[in-house]
Amino acid sequence: MMETIEYSPEAAVSVHLTVNGVPVTAEVSPNAILLDVLREQLGLTGTKKGCDHGQCGACTVHVDGRAMNACLRLAVMCEGQAITTIEGLAEAGQLHPVQQAFLDHDAFQCGYCSPGQIMSAVALLEDPRVPGDIVTVREAMSGNLCRCGAYQNILAAIQDVRLRRHGQEGGDDA
Amino acid sequence: MSAIPEHHVVGRRTPRVDGEDKLTGRADYTVDHRLEGMLYGYPVPASIAHGTLEALELDAARAMPGVVDILHHGHFPDLHRSPNSMRQGNAVSEVRLPFEDDRIHYHGQYIALVVAETLAQARAAAFRVEARYHRNAGAMTGLAASDDEGEEVGQYTRGEPELAFGIAPVILDATYTMAAESHLQLEPHATLAEWREADQRLIVHESTQGVFYQRNALAHIFDLPPEQVEVISHYIGSGFGNKLFMWPHAVATAAAARLLGRPVKTVLPRQQDMMTTGHRPASRQRIRLGAELDGSLASIQHDSLTETSTIDRYVDACGGATPVAYACDSVATHQRILPVHHGSPCPMRAPGEASGLFALESAIDELAVALDMDPLALRLKNYAHQDPQRGLPWSSKHLDRCLESTAERFGWASRDPGIGNMRDGDEIIGQGMAAATWFAGRQPCAARVTLRADGVFVACGTQDIGTGTYTIVAQTVAELTGVPVARVEVRLGETGLPAGPLSGGSMTTASTLPAVAAAVRDALAALKEVATGPGGSFEGLDPAALDVAAGTLQGDSRQAGFAEILARHRLSDVTGEGSAAPADERQEYSFRSFGAHFVEVRWDPGISRLRVARVVSSIDVGRAINPVAARNQVEGAIVMGIGMALLEGLDYDPRDARLINANVSDYRIPVHADMPEIDVELLDYPDYRFNEFGARGIGEIGLTGIAAAISNAVYHATGKRLRDLPISVEKLMDRT
Repeated sequence: MMETIEYSPEAAVSVHLTVNGVPVTAEVSPNAILLDVLREQLGLTGTKKGCDHGQCGACTVHVDGRAMNACLRLAVMCEGQAITTIEGLAEAGQLHPVQQAFLDHDAFQCGYCSPGQIMSAVALLEDPRVPGDIVTVREAMSGNLCRCGAYQNILAAIQDVRLRRHGQEGGDDA
Repeated sequence: MSAIPEHHVVGRRTPRVDGEDKLTGRADYTVDHRLEGMLYGYPVPASIAHGTLEALELDAARAMPGVVDILHHGHFPDLHRSPNSMRQGNAVSEVRLPFEDDRIHYHGQYIALVVAETLAQARAAAFRVEARYHRNAGAMTGLAASDDEGEEVGQYTRGEPELAFGIAPVILDATYTMAAESHLQLEPHATLAEWREADQRLIVHESTQGVFYQRNALAHIFDLPPEQVEVISHYIGSGFGNKLFMWPHAVATAAAARLLGRPVKTVLPRQQDMMTTGHRPASRQRIRLGAELDGSLASIQHDSLTETSTIDRYVDACGGATPVAYACDSVATHQRILPVHHGSPCPMRAPGEASGLFALESAIDELAVALDMDPLALRLKNYAHQDPQRGLPWSSKHLDRCLESTAERFGWASRDPGIGNMRDGDEIIGQGMAAATWFAGRQPCAARVTLRADGVFVACGTQDIGTGTYTIVAQTVAELTGVPVARVEVRLGETGLPAGPLSGGSMTTASTLPAVAAAVRDALAALKEVATGPGGSFEGLDPAALDVAAGTLQGDSRQAGFAEILARHRLSDVTGEGSAAPADERQEYSFRSFGAHFVEVRWDPGISRLRVARVVSSIDVGRAINPVAARNQVEGAIVMGIGMALLEGLDYDPRDARLINANVSDYRIPVHADMPEIDVELLDYPDYRFNEFGARGIGEIGLTGIAAAISNAVYHATGKRLRDLPISVEKLMDRT
């Protein structure tokens, strides 16, 4: 799907990534930001730029399974790492359960922050260190701003996924 | 009035039809568009707020890799201004053209646009542009720093408000101030402009709330026939008012595209977005109330001063709702504006009235305290059963039901009115309330509907800014054709489509749906004409005798599906056009939406922590077309209201009017952790006098009154009447 992309004259470094499961070699300048490489070089525009300063969370992606702001990370720091973006979440055309829950709970309005909200939500749901009570979830999600203010529905979506998962596993919710 | 229709899709919870695109990253926002051969623009902002640009040093920037050109005052095409008229549909946010002269009117004003092959190159080169300025002394840093009362731009008077105030046994005279607020919509402003030399066409992708306004303005600016300008906006990362009317970045970007013969995309960096694309202006409002001992309002006077820029005359009409809010014979409002050296302000969600109702609804609470009356009882005592400004009946007003229902769900009856009397552990509980209101208006709208074998295609040149317009248009088509929502394709946000309204003023729903309905009926009439004509499934029948249900025509105990009828006549489709516009309904009725917010705050003096713990609201907007999206609008407005009340304020340097906190962490907005419990009730009293679907619109009303309700709750908890927003924690800390 993706191959080596010759990009700019000052590109000087080859960085080897696995992006949404696909090995990618990108020629990047040493100061290229992961977010810009994803959007401008790899054409993965689902990851949004809201502030470019790590303040809004719209660019949240998974780097080796951890949620990170792609705007605060140099691409060269990701050598050998696996990057998952919003485009890599749905499998075989089937929405990820968190995406489906966002749709069911109307957990968005304009949708611009949604990729970041969803990537953070997926990571925290899979992080055993984060308890499932709403105070903790709200705190854990506070790096993802939603100016439309759909926070109540975002929380409901996350807790709905948690409940279904625990239901399947036969465990009880915190 | 016709019989009340029974709806099966309209008024029912419907998942957003654009949801999957948004939640998978497929939705193509303006910032995501890319064209072959595209260049990137990156503006260079002025670092002073008041003065003259003396020189630009561009050699270093020009020598940077990938730089194609740098536009500036000395190198920019000779363009024209837009007439800037709402009536003509070409209003702009900043009438001055970019790089028009060497004067600097505000911090962040563009002094150059660097155009380069890549985003990284354009950005890097922009930082190498050096400017030399002459700074003028005496920058106007804001109304808080000035005694200047500005210029009067509007007033309203009925009765004898001064006289009645002078003799009233109980009076209140208080002044309320609010800091300027940033819209902080998460998608920055962005333009992708393409000039097609062969047919002299300008094609612009813009994140805008009004594609037609921008097209008309660009046509004037570039001296082109409107047909040769196309503006496209399929997905908009919200706007809240600052994407209603075009800003200079779009003009500079389009000029660059024409000059260089290649598409150019400019996405504003967040800091520049906050500096150059508007804000809710700071305001100072004096409210004087006079009342009888029983609480009857004898006089209301509301004097407002709001900031504008030195280059535009933006009026944030704070007193808009004051003449209609209460039954009172003597009312006066005055509106003044003061030019300051900030970028031009612009409408921000519930413009004017969100600020105005903070002042008025705070003052009513203060009056209740002075009268020793319950603030809910005081509002009911002065209930306006008809429009006191125009003397007309309301089309539909259920504010009393809002107040009663909210009080009941909140538990207002068990509130102890004493200051600081209600406690829970270390926290002092404060409870306050306020009323909400927003006008109901409509704009002209046209739509086109095409019935096809595979479903229905509907097109309208309005926009969906996140409010859910795509979905309610699909619902309307589904309602009237019986075709499932999933088989209705909605196209919005293009000037190539039938002209649609601005996405603003909470007017989109009431403007758009009647036009869509008319287009559906026109398309169905075309289908019936075919079906009853020669060789048709219902040949010889009167078209009026045919019913429509579940994507079929029915009559004479037969039915035929739309696809079957089209196939029978070898037709690809039939098309209908429809339009709607405000009629004479305003001569008989006044139209407004109403609501009530009850708020509980918690103040922990030991650690100086203030939080909103609970908000209970009831909103009367007629029929909610999609209750799930409508509720989301109100909840989101409440969140924005928490920001307005407690967190948000643009800080301008008192020495030189430079904007200090143009970023997303120093300008604070509510985050997940700030969330209270929110309980929103949408009353369901369809307003069929307004339109056939009974909807009045819901985008703004949730933001009116909420800041006052929070401020009133803070007073109840702390005894401190803080008349200056935001109520940041340091204002509550005891000074010893």
